[in-house]
Amino acid sequence: MSESTLPPAAAHVGDDVQRVDDAAKLTGGAMYASDLVFAGMLYAQVKKSPHARAKILAINTSKAKNLPGVHAVLTGKELDYRIGLYVVDKDVLAKDVVRHFGEAVAAVAAESLDIACRAVDLIDVEYEVLPPVLNQLDALDENSPLVHPDLGSYDYVKASFSPQPGTNIPNLTKIRKGDIDAGFAEAKWIVEREYTNPSVQHVPLETHVAIVEWKAGDEVTIWSSAQSPFTLRDLFCRAFKLPHNKVRVVIPHVGGAFGGKAGIHLEPLLACLSRKAGGRPVKFQATREEEFSLLPCRSALTYKIKTGVGADGRITAQKLLMYWDSGAYADYAVNVTRASAYSAGGPYDIPNAWVDAYTIYTNKPWGTAYRGFGHVEFFWGLERHMELVAEVIGMDPLEFRKKNLLKPGSTTLTGERINEHTGNPLKCLEAAASAINYGRLTPEEQERQARTGRRIGKGIATLHKAPAMPSFTSTAAVIKMNSDGSVVVNIALTEIGQGTATVVTQMAADRLRFPVSRVKVAVERDTDKDPFDWQTVASKGLLLTGNAVIAACDDLLRQAYLDAAQVLRAQTVDLDHDGEKIFVKQRPEESVTFAALSIGYVYPNGNGIGGPLIGLGRYTAQGLTSLDKETGQGLPALDWTYGAHGVIAEVDPETGEYTVIKIASAFDVGKVINPGTMRGQCIGGMIQGLGTAECESYIYDDQGHLLNPSLTDNKILTAKDLPEEIECIAVETPQLDGPFGARGVGEHPMISVAPALANAIHDATGAELTHMPVRSEDVWRAIHNRLPVDTWVTKAPAV
Amino acid sequence: MNDGFKYRAPTSRAELFGLLAAHGEGAKILAGGTDLLVDIRSGLVRPELVINLKKVEDFPELVWSQSQGLIIGPATTVNDVLHDPKVRDCYPLLAECALSIASHQLRNRATVIGNIVHASPGADMAPGLLCLGARVQIASQRGRRELFLKDFFTGVKRTVLGHDEIVESITVPAGTARSRGSYRKLKRIDGHDLSLVGVALTNTDGDVRVGIGSAAPTPLLIEGLTDQDPADAVVAAARAAIRPISDLRCSKEYREYMIEVFVRRLLEEVR
Ligand SMILES: Cc1cc2nc3c(=O)[nH]c(=O)nc-3n(C[C@H](O)[C@H](O)[C@H](O)COP(=O)(O)OP(=O)(O)OC[C@H]3O[C@@H](n4cnc5c(N)ncnc54)[C@H](O)[C@@H]3O)c2cc1C
Repeated sequence: MSESTLPPAAAHVGDDVQRVDDAAKLTGGAMYASDLVFAGMLYAQVKKSPHARAKILAINTSKAKNLPGVHAVLTGKELDYRIGLYVVDKDVLAKDVVRHFGEAVAAVAAESLDIACRAVDLIDVEYEVLPPVLNQLDALDENSPLVHPDLGSYDYVKASFSPQPGTNIPNLTKIRKGDIDAGFAEAKWIVEREYTNPSVQHVPLETHVAIVEWKAGDEVTIWSSAQSPFTLRDLFCRAFKLPHNKVRVVIPHVGGAFGGKAGIHLEPLLACLSRKAGGRPVKFQATREEEFSLLPCRSALTYKIKTGVGADGRITAQKLLMYWDSGAYADYAVNVTRASAYSAGGPYDIPNAWVDAYTIYTNKPWGTAYRGFGHVEFFWGLERHMELVAEVIGMDPLEFRKKNLLKPGSTTLTGERINEHTGNPLKCLEAAASAINYGRLTPEEQERQARTGRRIGKGIATLHKAPAMPSFTSTAAVIKMNSDGSVVVNIALTEIGQGTATVVTQMAADRLRFPVSRVKVAVERDTDKDPFDWQTVASKGLLLTGNAVIAACDDLLRQAYLDAAQVLRAQTVDLDHDGEKIFVKQRPEESVTFAALSIGYVYPNGNGIGGPLIGLGRYTAQGLTSLDKETGQGLPALDWTYGAHGVIAEVDPETGEYTVIKIASAFDVGKVINPGTMRGQCIGGMIQGLGTAECESYIYDDQGHLLNPSLTDNKILTAKDLPEEIECIAVETPQLDGPFGARGVGEHPMISVAPALANAIHDATGAELTHMPVRSEDVWRAIHNRLPVDTWVTKAPAV
Repeated sequence: MNDGFKYRAPTSRAELFGLLAAHGEGAKILAGGTDLLVDIRSGLVRPELVINLKKVEDFPELVWSQSQGLIIGPATTVNDVLHDPKVRDCYPLLAECALSIASHQLRNRATVIGNIVHASPGADMAPGLLCLGARVQIASQRGRRELFLKDFFTGVKRTVLGHDEIVESITVPAGTARSRGSYRKLKRIDGHDLSLVGVALTNTDGDVRVGIGSAAPTPLLIEGLTDQDPADAVVAAARAAIRPISDLRCSKEYREYMIEVFVRRLLEEVR
């Protein structure tokens, strides 16, 4: 008789299990939307505006229509559909005005890409060019032209957003905590400064691609590289007033997204082209250049921070003014504004706070979600500010941060009470600082400095982020057992490179006590077949989907136990199971295999009982609330993931050129489900963060033309730009409602990399950097034209 | 968008020259294509005929001899130069310039002559070749001619080359072999990037030459200096020659400043 072979609990969770999609991706076998070709498929191309703001006087499409091989030509006039995530402000094609450089004004579908390109060239558009509104602060001026004069009539999500009709402000989020005036009165020092970030591009390896087929009877199928099939379907159906069961969204492998593929993009346009072309499928894949202005970017930000500090170095008050440049459409920018507002002070205990966060329309390509959802941008200002405040008050920046960190008993800006299970920002900060030997140079570093003539500096920065999502966000998982006892998991969380399929496999395997080889997470997402998920965004997937998968495993086991109890003439309490079978605890030899139960048990005489084993699990974010519109008080955070970075940089004090010697990052992830995928997220996010810190930036001329819409002059980092050393550190303070204690870490590695780098450069050279990106020329300028410190201290103790 | 072009790959010089003479301005030579294809895609160049010259059998290849120095042929790639032991031994500066170009994959296709003929102000092979006294051999149905590289460039992406002419080789004299010197390139990232400024400086038996890219409409050569000249004089000569602009890559002031820093540092290294 064999001993009980129960695997130990958590046999796979915590293990460096190999990614389940490795083989397909490494051999080129993985299918992406761009690989798909259908019989009769047409190719779309878009006519784009060369102006940032202009009236469309006339569009002549007759030559394009007459070109052989062209099956549909569309302009905005004939399309009466509006789209928008939170503020419904965007036409499928520009109608009477264009609002940004690169905006779609007409489109064609033709038998080949070549014909489509030629047809688009044959479309003539007559414009009356108008002066654009380019700077978001100028757009607040009461004499500024309005990007959307009809803002007051647009539909919007009323629970969360506050558009200001008659202005360029599609949303204003306010947070009020404590008594701001009393807080500043108490302060010994008041330090006030402004920080800025430009727009940047996501640059996924796979550009946006979709195929849409609108068949007779309004049966619509969408194949897309989108992140969120159900949100795409929902927005699509709302725009076209179609029932959900008429529209099917299919998502194969996705080649990177980073937020740029959340929401809805060119699918509505392709749908209209397909309908006009008699139902033939229509495909469009953006060029790299189109990614920069036909598709959205990350919003620019100007962040004004005013901080009061008491004699003991504790922050007494903080006034935080955010000016988000949404570009021409509100899209995600309004929610970036909202999520940034309630996180605006960072992981610090701020007794008195005042946040006004504006989303502002301008005549530029619009901003959308981007890994970090606003936090990369505002943490640039915040963590530079903490450094500069520390310098003013004469305290070590690490000490100053530690003194002000959130701890159990602190309350956040929205009044949430932090407890010992929320996560530990102090441990993260200390781990990152110690990994770079913060505060001193090692003998090797001193020697290196002497040898190279470059100066070595060290910097740290903290971060936090909670998922930005509706308070009631929910998801579901279905686990179906095959007749050999293996299982297939269906979820609608997409695999966009983050490793979801792998960690879900591990969690399901552990909960079922199966080997990972018996668990498959289906690759393709299909709204007709998969259970609902809101979106694949916000670093909420692991927690919400993880909990749903655990519930689905339990549901499947419950059914299997019920059937086994009949077969074994036992009660379910008498039973236990291992990876193969369910057995009677007391007499393990009395057992029935999962395979025998999987699609219904069959007795020797041919009688059948039970049926296919299918587990269903659901999970909804627990206890969250909307925020009060006047005070911002409420409970918006599913979980807070805290983190910190430490950077060692080496700067040429003469030229401003610098290199990153080391970056060490620590995150309180609750529980590491897979060290490999976590490290992947950490390194990927850190490099993306370093790219936006060092070189990425949209550059416009004064007419709003984007001057660098490609990788020639919008550089991103390459393998050669990696720091010499990278260290990823996990802190594990279990999240009590997280699966296996885990919380999300998808976006966090990108946040606060830039200020950690700039703090290191500051340490090395005294350069006071307040604008991203930090190019060598910026460092050179900052070294040579240092602003006097007292220009931004508005109150200091008398001496 | 292009309206399509014809493609030919002649195997002899005569055939190549005939095609060029017949098509004139409408024909474009394809070497590695890393400049040409980018220009065709963006609509900057709309050739009727693209002529691949890599199949021509009687073209010179990369060779070195004491008598003739280094000969670089029309199909010699940047990686060929980079990995050639003779180049590394005699003209390490050229290997350094080569290494600064793009990425390994690009260098496998990009030719040295393509880099020069494209005549970008920032062409990375130019400063080194200028310092080393390179000459350009030009050929067509009409015959051959030769000139110094410094006389080859006439403006931004403009050269003395006629529509029927090709560059058959670039030669580097044996006399500048083993010159001491190096190349400094200011970039925005460590990975592949075009030069914001590029400075090469050589000392050939006391004779100092400075080659500068991305600082004027053409790559520049500054001659007539010696290793006895004070650094300020060398810097002043460079300053007098350059005419940098501000653009989205970099400001004029930073270009001027970095050229000065590079010249000083390079001079220090070869003294
Ligand atoms: C991603 C990328 C990165 C790059 N990075 C750099 C860089 O860092 N530094 C740099 O200097 N350049 C860079 N370049 C530019 C380019 O790669 C180089 O200029 C390269 O050396 C060009 O050589 P080719 O053989 O590809 O030229 P091609 O594109 O084949 O030709 C270039 C031009 O020269 C003409 N031509 C070529 N050979 C001859 C000949 N024998 N006679 C007459 N005409 C001829 C062609 O007609 C064409 O006009 C980069 C290009 C890309 C796409």
